[in-house]
Amino acid sequence: MKNILLFLLNLLVAVQTIAQQTRQISGVVRSADGQALVGATISYDGGGTTTDVNGRYQLSLPQNVEKIKYSSVGFKTQEVELTNQTKYDITLREESQDLEQVVVTATRTPKALKDVPVLTRLITQDDIAKVDATNVQDLLQQELPGLEFSYSMNQQTSLNMSGFGGNSVLFLVDGERMAGETLDNIDYSRLNMTGVGRIEIVKGAASTLYGSNAVGGVINLISAESDRNWALNVNSRYGKHDEWRNGLSLTLGRNKFSSRTDVQHTSIGEVKLSDNEESSLQRIYANHTWNVKEKLTFRPTSDLKLTARAGFFFRERNSAQTSHDRYRDYSAGLRGLWTISTDADLELAYSFDQYDKSDYSTVSHKDVRDYSNVQHIVRSVFNHRYGKNTLTIGADYMRDYLLSYQFASGDSTHKQHTTDAFAQFDYLPTDRINLLAGIRYDHFSAADQNSLTGKLSAMYKWDKTSLRLGYAGGFRAPTLKEMYMSFDMASIFMIYGNENLNSERSHNFSLTAEHNNRTTHATHNLTATGYMNFVSNRITTAWNTELMGMAYVNMSRLRVSGFDACYMMKMTNGLGVRLSYAFVHEHIEKGEPETSSTRPHTLVARIDYDRQPTTKYGFCVTLGGRFLSPVMVDEYTSVSDYTTTASAEYPGYTIWKLTLSQRIMNWLKINFAADNIFNYQPDVYYSNSPSTSGTTCSFGVSIDVDRIFDK
Amino acid sequence: MNASNHKNITTAVALGMLMLFPACDGMFEGVYDDVEGGSDPTNKTAEIQTRGTLTIDATAYTEWHYINFHSGEITTSTISLTDSTESGKPAEWDVALHRYDVKSNNGVAIETEYTTIDELLAEGLPTDDEWTADTFADNKITIDMSHMMEGYLVYLPDYYNPILSKWVDVNTSTMPPIYTMNQKVFVVRLSDDTHLALRLINFMNDKSVKGNMNFEYYYPLPF
Repeated sequence: MKNILLFLLNLLVAVQTIAQQTRQISGVVRSADGQALVGATISYDGGGTTTDVNGRYQLSLPQNVEKIKYSSVGFKTQEVELTNQTKYDITLREESQDLEQVVVTATRTPKALKDVPVLTRLITQDDIAKVDATNVQDLLQQELPGLEFSYSMNQQTSLNMSGFGGNSVLFLVDGERMAGETLDNIDYSRLNMTGVGRIEIVKGAASTLYGSNAVGGVINLISAESDRNWALNVNSRYGKHDEWRNGLSLTLGRNKFSSRTDVQHTSIGEVKLSDNEESSLQRIYANHTWNVKEKLTFRPTSDLKLTARAGFFFRERNSAQTSHDRYRDYSAGLRGLWTISTDADLELAYSFDQYDKSDYSTVSHKDVRDYSNVQHIVRSVFNHRYGKNTLTIGADYMRDYLLSYQFASGDSTHKQHTTDAFAQFDYLPTDRINLLAGIRYDHFSAADQNSLTGKLSAMYKWDKTSLRLGYAGGFRAPTLKEMYMSFDMASIFMIYGNENLNSERSHNFSLTAEHNNRTTHATHNLTATGYMNFVSNRITTAWNTELMGMAYVNMSRLRVSGFDACYMMKMTNGLGVRLSYAFVHEHIEKGEPETSSTRPHTLVARIDYDRQPTTKYGFCVTLGGRFLSPVMVDEYTSVSDYTTTASAEYPGYTIWKLTLSQRIMNWLKINFAADNIFNYQPDVYYSNSPSTSGTTCSFGVSIDVDRIFDK
Repeated sequence: MNASNHKNITTAVALGMLMLFPACDGMFEGVYDDVEGGSDPTNKTAEIQTRGTLTIDATAYTEWHYINFHSGEITTSTISLTDSTESGKPAEWDVALHRYDVKSNNGVAIETEYTTIDELLAEGLPTDDEWTADTFADNKITIDMSHMMEGYLVYLPDYYNPILSKWVDVNTSTMPPIYTMNQKVFVVRLSDDTHLALRLINFMNDKSVKGNMNFEYYYPLPF
């Protein structure tokens, strides 16, 4: 017995000795451009160290450790499997402001952000997390200046981006356009941030690549791709006004076959804003949404990637005592990307999107549909590289079907077919010069109209500075609604469509300067853009004396010019600053009334401080704010007579949000957010007032279940 | 990639496309209810039982809908926009509807605290309520909305009952207006001293078109 005990004791000591046997590793951690990273963390389960002022580190670790992690604020964490070597020099890639980040929207071919000849603004997954945004509206109004979401009639959300309305800004999801609109705006609550990897924004016209609606800009939401074999995230957030956001994301597989499922439910009670009878907005309807997305990726061979997706969206808002507005969307798609050779690839895609609106009676419990927009789209893009130069050619087809309560009874559906073809050549004669030229032809069957658009961009690069000069054409074809509407507006007036409308056109000229600088402790990025848009045939409604009602017409020419500037700074100690300013001016003829309600000056700012004091605890404090200047508007006093105007001033405002995000044990994230911390409340709520009831707080938890099992 | 792989993949893609290629004009129509084919009846004559419900299409601003609870007859009159004259008004009627406006034929009305007609039947008529007669007004019965944006509306000078017309409250201080239904039981004492109970169920049809008045009634009340 004694012998056995002695043997076990010896065995225990031996095991402990083996476990405690240590090894030494060392190296240097650098950024992609070779700068030493100070304070980068090298960690393993049970310990770690940080780099010195020269980016050097030395680490003693148990012999049985197989993997170590390298992380630094603002850089992507890298996991390294240990071998017998003792020296590990590591290069970390930046997470945000990543000039090496590949973007696709400006050219429809993958290019590093710094090499794109058309300025692309990137919002990363990290930015989305810092802002704690639920949907694209939350995100953009906190991240982009020159952009305002307000309410149009009956609390329908309306976008103004640098003088362009919601129907002149093209929203895409992985390059696919979206069906359905209400008062010229898509349903922004469909674009929730679950599963979004990054957002690429190209301001200015881009119809040569994207066709109709890409007049004022393109906003493309790109899905995240997982680098793990399986991942499960569950998250929940609760805030004032009984606001809930609950979500679940599940990723399975990553090599030949992978699946990603996202489910999100949001709800909020009625928000009472004001009792002031002058307020045109006194309460915001309670509402709830469901958003379900499934994406399957199959890589049968190394040169072929097939993707299938399906989605369901539901929104209900309690807009009246006995009737609720319901919105549903069904979407599906197939996409194949074939890498034919190292120089050529072909993409073929089919997309289906159906957006329905219905009225649900809380008395009869009947749910009656009165609107359905169904789009079938087939897309093809072929890229061929000749050295550094790329030729892109493509063709698309869309069938657009619309059933609407706004059409005359007995004539409630219309459809049209759109076909297009385009070509673009991306030419790099030297390392410093990039020229891009493109042309596109579109045909719309309903109006039997053609559209020819072109673009020409040039970029010149020095070491740290680049200049971009560009022309881009944009157009927006009249929609089926604008052509065939016949709608009685609450017995006040009729609104008539116009089959003879011309397409809106825009000629956009822009000049951008960009400067990047990296020091040992910080990276700096400064961009400044001046632009001018010549817009003709803008489609609007105006009183028609013959019809004795409102009718869609083309407006006379107008010019919109502006200036955007953005400064971003990220320090290795975790401090980040982002300041963006936009100025917009709509030119009008002398003596004409200033009817534009675009705010001339907007500024958004964000300061964040991100630290990882230990391997098991990190935090990020983010203070973000936006300032919108007041605007004076001349408003016509009558809908049927344009001789008299009254001047109205809409006050400016500023709103700030403070977020504290804590990362615990690598799998738990706890968020606390206080929005509108200076408790701004308008005296009178106009449709373009921020729909805030004052300071609100929210508390959220997010758990990466799969990481609990990480060693 | 070999030829067999190519063939399999092409077949899989084609099958997938076929499965995913939904109907051209959309799918899942069955999710919704169909209200075509007369599920929104406009009652022009009604078999008036002691108790029942009526749906009156009072969407037009230029119509009064006269209900005779004695005979069950429902008559619609038309108001001229040129001279504000009314044609087609019946000789015998009890209450009339115009949008959310209600008038009585020399009757008086009260709003009870009851939310069901059964409560009224069980508890009887309130004794301390003041009965209100119709009032004449020249700024109540809107017959033309088309000048709203110019700052004025066209009215028909006529009687209305201020109590009965409370069954829908329209707050026009915001756009769109806020509509609040009053679902209490209203009682009308008709000119022959019989009593009629009314309770609004909905002021919209299933397509959310306002002015479709769906209400419950009980006539004659047993007291």
